[in-house]
Amino acid sequence: MQVPVTLKVSAFALFVMGVYTYYANSIPQLQSKPPEELSLEGGNVTPDQLVKAGEEIFKGKGTCEICHRIGQKGTRAPDLAGVGARAAKSKPGMSAKAYLIESLLSPAAHLVQGYPAIMPKVDKPPIALNRSEVWALTAFLESLGGTVTVKLDDIPKTAGAAPAGGAAPAAELKLPGDPKAGQAVFMGKGACIACHKAGPIGASPVGPDLTQIGKIQTPDYIMAKILDPASMGTVAGYPPGLMPRTFGQTLTAKEYLDVVSFLLTQKGEGPAAKK
Amino acid sequence: MPSFSHKDNAVLRTGAVAGQLVRAIWAGAMVLLLLQVMPALAQETAKGAEAYRAFPLFGSRLAVWGIAQIHLNFAAFILGVPIFAVIVEIMGMRTKDPRYDWLAHQFVKLVFAAFSTTALLGGLLLFLLIGYYPKFFSYLTGIFYSTMWIYAALFFLETFTVYLWYYGWDWLSGSRKWIHLGLGILANLFGTAILLISNAWVTFMMSPRGVDEAGKLTSLWQAINNYTWMPINIHRILANIVFGGTIAAAYAAFRFLSAKTHEERALYDWMGYIGNFVAISSLLVLPFAGYYLGREIYSFNQTMGITMMGGFMSWLWVLQAILIGVLFIGSNYYLWLGMERIPGAERYRKYIPYLIMVLAAGFMVWATPRSMVVTLQESRAMGGTHHPVLGFLGVMSAKNTAVNLMILTTFLSFLLYRRANRISVKPWAGMGMAAQWVIFGLAAVIVTFYGVYGYFVESIVRIGFSVYQVMAVLGAIVLVMTIDIPMFKGARSTGTIRWGQIPPRSQYVLILLAVTFTWLMGLMGFARSGIRQHWHVYGVMRDTSVDAVTPALGYAANVITTVTAIFFAMVFFIFWLGSLGEKGKHPHGMGPATAGSSEDRR
Ligand code: HEC
Ligand code: HEC
Repeated sequence: MQVPVTLKVSAFALFVMGVYTYYANSIPQLQSKPPEELSLEGGNVTPDQLVKAGEEIFKGKGTCEICHRIGQKGTRAPDLAGVGARAAKSKPGMSAKAYLIESLLSPAAHLVQGYPAIMPKVDKPPIALNRSEVWALTAFLESLGGTVTVKLDDIPKTAGAAPAGGAAPAAELKLPGDPKAGQAVFMGKGACIACHKAGPIGASPVGPDLTQIGKIQTPDYIMAKILDPASMGTVAGYPPGLMPRTFGQTLTAKEYLDVVSFLLTQKGEGPAAKK
Repeated sequence: MPSFSHKDNAVLRTGAVAGQLVRAIWAGAMVLLLLQVMPALAQETAKGAEAYRAFPLFGSRLAVWGIAQIHLNFAAFILGVPIFAVIVEIMGMRTKDPRYDWLAHQFVKLVFAAFSTTALLGGLLLFLLIGYYPKFFSYLTGIFYSTMWIYAALFFLETFTVYLWYYGWDWLSGSRKWIHLGLGILANLFGTAILLISNAWVTFMMSPRGVDEAGKLTSLWQAINNYTWMPINIHRILANIVFGGTIAAAYAAFRFLSAKTHEERALYDWMGYIGNFVAISSLLVLPFAGYYLGREIYSFNQTMGITMMGGFMSWLWVLQAILIGVLFIGSNYYLWLGMERIPGAERYRKYIPYLIMVLAAGFMVWATPRSMVVTLQESRAMGGTHHPVLGFLGVMSAKNTAVNLMILTTFLSFLLYRRANRISVKPWAGMGMAAQWVIFGLAAVIVTFYGVYGYFVESIVRIGFSVYQVMAVLGAIVLVMTIDIPMFKGARSTGTIRWGQIPPRSQYVLILLAVTFTWLMGLMGFARSGIRQHWHVYGVMRDTSVDAVTPALGYAANVITTVTAIFFAMVFFIFWLGSLGEKGKHPHGMGPATAGSSEDRR
């Protein structure tokens, strides 16, 4: 009697899959919508419209909410409630809007105390907001406790200038240092190798692996980190105060520039980049 | 052919097999032809032709999704089954038990039947991609063109090797058995190479490397060896073995349920047991491969990792955990049911409730939604936004602990099963068993200790802890087996296993496992490609088609169920075709002891 068994087995299999399907349909249905391109250049928009557009970007295309919350302690990133007011005092000599724009375009330039440098540059892939969108977003952030003053011209022309899929590489900073000599400092006089690994060089797990540091961090950050590690906050998962604070005194200016240039070449593309 | 094992059907089977081969070659030739014209096509599209075309009725995405998934299921099957067919063949050579050789041959037969279908589906997928995603596909071709040739060539080699392996079974027996085994191993090497190449394409889309910001190729090797390539390779090889095992076990279950004689039942009961055994062995390590993959995704791109575990996909992992729970609990249940056919197993029945409790608790922890990597801030913030009681259990520490304990439990079930009908005659047996229990206990304590301690350290340190947990579990498995094997050498038997005397519901468990695992593969396929969201190649090439929305889980589940049902229907049909050739062969002694062609051979 082949037929009944076939039937029974098929019915059973369909039932099992039916249960999974039912469950999958009964939980919250979250879609991931592709972002809309927003262009406000040249048009007349009221601050209200701008803030509204910014809020939509915040919740949608910007994917900010996977890290930030407003009015609630975020899980991975600071609460942004009141950031429009707080921003004016965040960095001495910097206006609120300038600070906010910097937070978006080069998040690592100033880290909020206690948070690691995981915030992506919003005008670069994968978020890849264009200039109008950065403008609207800044307006929205200003509106959180402050007043909206940002103009399109405040957003650097270079922001988002490189649309995904056909972009010129971001302008690279040229330092007068010599990476080769820097590598020697890294392994020799600086003794960085005692705590760090950089590509194929070194293996110490004491400090973070620097194999990709040139890709994930700005020159500013690296320069400051070497001179005064505490000023840049502590990389998550590592003890604060371990990285020596004395390199400003022990390294010559040339050695310092060399080692920074060397680190900037660490883009994680060497064969040893992956463990 | 010097000798035919099944003379009565030799002609019929030769005809069918030759037909298979012709179809496989035809499909391969189509693929080669396409490769030939691809550069021309690519140029066409580069000239500004449209980037997408719409597939009639249900759209291009669904067409590609469905065909890709069915193709993948078949591919996983024809790659996974040979791996353990070889293992079974080796077991047969070592134990001289002809059953194993028969079984290996059966498995390869199943693979053989699925070969040309796989190739045809692959060709169809290629057509769809070229036809409906021309711009994207020409970009991918531009990067990986050279590897596509190797892929096609390997496919031919694989086809012929499996052909020889299958057909030469009787010819290369006896003193030439080694050559035959070599063929099996060679077929697996080709198969794995094929897998590695196609994984490079897929993982490149997910975590591109070796291209500059404009998407131009700078290093082919880096494009291949991107962040997720190795983890996916490992993950897929392991999963393919599980998959092959569960399908073979389901096949055996089906044959068991429709068997008419006791001998047939005994034989297929045994086959199902072996298939399931192989599947479970591989399933035990799969979670670790999964964590490795997750870690690489995080190190490729934080945002991608977070979107995957905490963003729009977070619920997917709850569903995944449920499926994995079903797999673990199901396979334990199967072992317990299997003990009923072993005289002497009553002694161990009292342990089962405790095992159930551990499994159920582990299952609950695992199914608690929570992201995988947690920062210190997160654990401080925890409480409000999560489940008041279970929320705390959902962090990675707890999950690792739970899964490790579940693995230990499953191993314990297996151990009890192993000794069900045996009584050790060694004078040191008492001490040996005590030592085993101590090892089990220690492993459980180590796993739990690091699980709890994990809450008090930062994430980087905690990730290191999972290594200790895994080492403890693996170490325990090795140590316990080192004691177990000599301890039960020459043991007194309380009766032989009564193969075939297992309740039919055990066979439904095997089918449940196969269906669940296949469904899980569909789900993980959705996760892997859905995580790119609106990108064809993450961060490099946008998906600007009408289908750029990544659908929600419910929709995905509907697709997965449909695809899985079609897949099983096709498999069923192919197996049925295969069984036509063996009609009338059953009546003469297929009982386990004297099974199969190895007997005819003499
Ligand atoms: C991967 C997680 C992540 C994502 C996504 C993310 N951020 Fe952040 N963000 C952080 C972290 C961590 C900090 C604190 C460290 C720092 O200053 O970079 C931060 C800091 C900030 C600050 C400075 C806050 C202050 O109090 O000074 C602003 C403003 C900000 N983010 C806005 C945004 C916006 C707008 C988006 C969406 C386009 C976004 N972030 C997306 C993680 C993220
Ligand atoms: C005694 C060990 C030690 C030595 C020596 C040391 N570092 Fe560090 N470094 C650390 C630790 C620990 C951290 C992470 C904690 C922190 O952020 O302060 C760190 C962080 C860094 C970072 C930030 C990494 C990131 O991912 O953001 C940079 C850059 C860096 N070090 C560069 C250097 C250079 C260059 C040298 C040599 C001139 C050096 N370090 C020598 C211990 C060391």
